[in-house]
Amino acid sequence: MAENRFQAIVEEIYERFKSYGVSRKEIENRLKLLLYEFKVPEEEARRTIINGLRKNYNIVKGDLKPSITKISEIEPNTWVSLKAKVVQLWEPNSPAIAQTGLIGDETGITRFVVWAKANKKRLEEGKCYLFERVVVDEFMGLKSVKVTSASEVKEIDEPIEVKDENAEVEVVGALVSIQQNSGLIQVCKLCGRVVKAGVCVEHGKVEANEVLRLKSVLDDGERTYDLILDEKIINSLTGIGLREARKLAEEHLDRGVVLLELKKRLLGKYLRVKGELRFRTLNAKSAEFYKPRIIEEVEKVLEEAGA
Amino acid sequence: MIRTARREVAKRVFSKEFNASKFKIGGEGEKEAVYVLTPLGLRCNRLFIVGVLLEKEEVKPDSDMWRIRISDPTGAFLGFVSKFQPEALESLADLNPPEIVAVTAKAKLLERDDRVIPLIRPETINVSDFETRDYWVLETAKATLKRIKAIERGEEKLAIEKYNPNLEEFRMTAIQALMKLKEEQSILEKEEKTKEEEKDEEEEKDLGFELDEEIVDLSDFEIGD
Ligand SMILES: [Zn+2]
Repeated sequence: MAENRFQAIVEEIYERFKSYGVSRKEIENRLKLLLYEFKVPEEEARRTIINGLRKNYNIVKGDLKPSITKISEIEPNTWVSLKAKVVQLWEPNSPAIAQTGLIGDETGITRFVVWAKANKKRLEEGKCYLFERVVVDEFMGLKSVKVTSASEVKEIDEPIEVKDENAEVEVVGALVSIQQNSGLIQVCKLCGRVVKAGVCVEHGKVEANEVLRLKSVLDDGERTYDLILDEKIINSLTGIGLREARKLAEEHLDRGVVLLELKKRLLGKYLRVKGELRFRTLNAKSAEFYKPRIIEEVEKVLEEAGA
Repeated sequence: MIRTARREVAKRVFSKEFNASKFKIGGEGEKEAVYVLTPLGLRCNRLFIVGVLLEKEEVKPDSDMWRIRISDPTGAFLGFVSKFQPEALESLADLNPPEIVAVTAKAKLLERDDRVIPLIRPETINVSDFETRDYWVLETAKATLKRIKAIERGEEKLAIEKYNPNLEEFRMTAIQALMKLKEEQSILEKEEKTKEEEKDEEEEKDLGFELDEEIVDLSDFEIGD
């Protein structure tokens, strides 16, 4: 059995019984005995130790639900069990990682990683899971939960309200794409969907509003965000508001000109965006062209690289 | 609910690393994307590049297939733009090299006889500026150094097996790009300072003249609020 699996079981049992004064060593010794000398299957060994300890310490069964840690309370270098919702999935940037993203519960949100080696069923965005025996670590001040081969993950049927799921985030990235049905567009008065030739897919022939809106993609090299920019933000970035956009469209007898002009001014630019993140969609509350102090950043990276 | 396929992230990579690529991965299932595997283990399907458009040349007269080269501090990307990239094709028409451009492109490996040629197919090309270019170099150097660390930790087995990359060489490339950036930036800052100092001096001369009380009697002016 793998060392990390062994340690995970020890930690799990320890977490349950530590308040009764059980030591890690004690659990380790029992587990070693059962697994390596008596060659008991691991699940049996685990159950036997738990039952034994329960008897020793006179603990009633009901008191021993696997203890669930809240995300706000996770500590680096510990093994925990969590109930959490998958808030976002990101594209892994290494083949060693099967899945990565954010999970959350009612106390907070944390990053998570499922190692490819863990060989787990794929998690889905928006679904809730019981994560058992996951390990917490910390990198650059960011906590992250790792699902390893020692962990169990089960989908659960209870809804989890995630705290600050729609909290404001700040993202710096390059604007790499602007969708075609963007710019100066006609939207359905009832639902806000883009209408084509006066027809909404949902509501049929409808009255339409003319709005200035961009659906775009912000990309920081590690993940992409579907970025929505409204008229106010488009105006603050480009100086083109609804009025200017209409004028432009009238002069050229073509609304498409507005999209072309906005693409010219925004595509390929780095933006710093603050907004509300819902799965992959970032609704911008404010945005500016990103102008970092490059020289300081360069010096920092050189120092870290030992150059 | 219909879920659209996840959009591929535009990776940041210097041309030197990208051009040393020889292997593709993925593309097994019908839906699976194809990635270029670089010597440092980057799997890229799409790239974001800010560099200098050095050349644009029509491959054959009236073919509307253009060969372009875009340089970064480590070398140059080879690219092709045709009617299959209408947006890029349209922007390219207005560009006159040398010009700084920001490019989103698909990463490809072209297999010709026994050669493998890494190249890009731009989706969008936009005029950019020096500031954006500098930030791209910084970001790309950081991403490169991160990949080197991952290899050192033994995480990118496939890249090591396929390429056995010379990490020191790639590290030096990234560091040199940063050093150059640092030099240029400090030269720029010095220029700014000298300009400001000159301006200050001139302003003082101006003030000295205006404040000469023998010439301008300040009591002549009414000072309102
Ligand atoms: Zn509608």
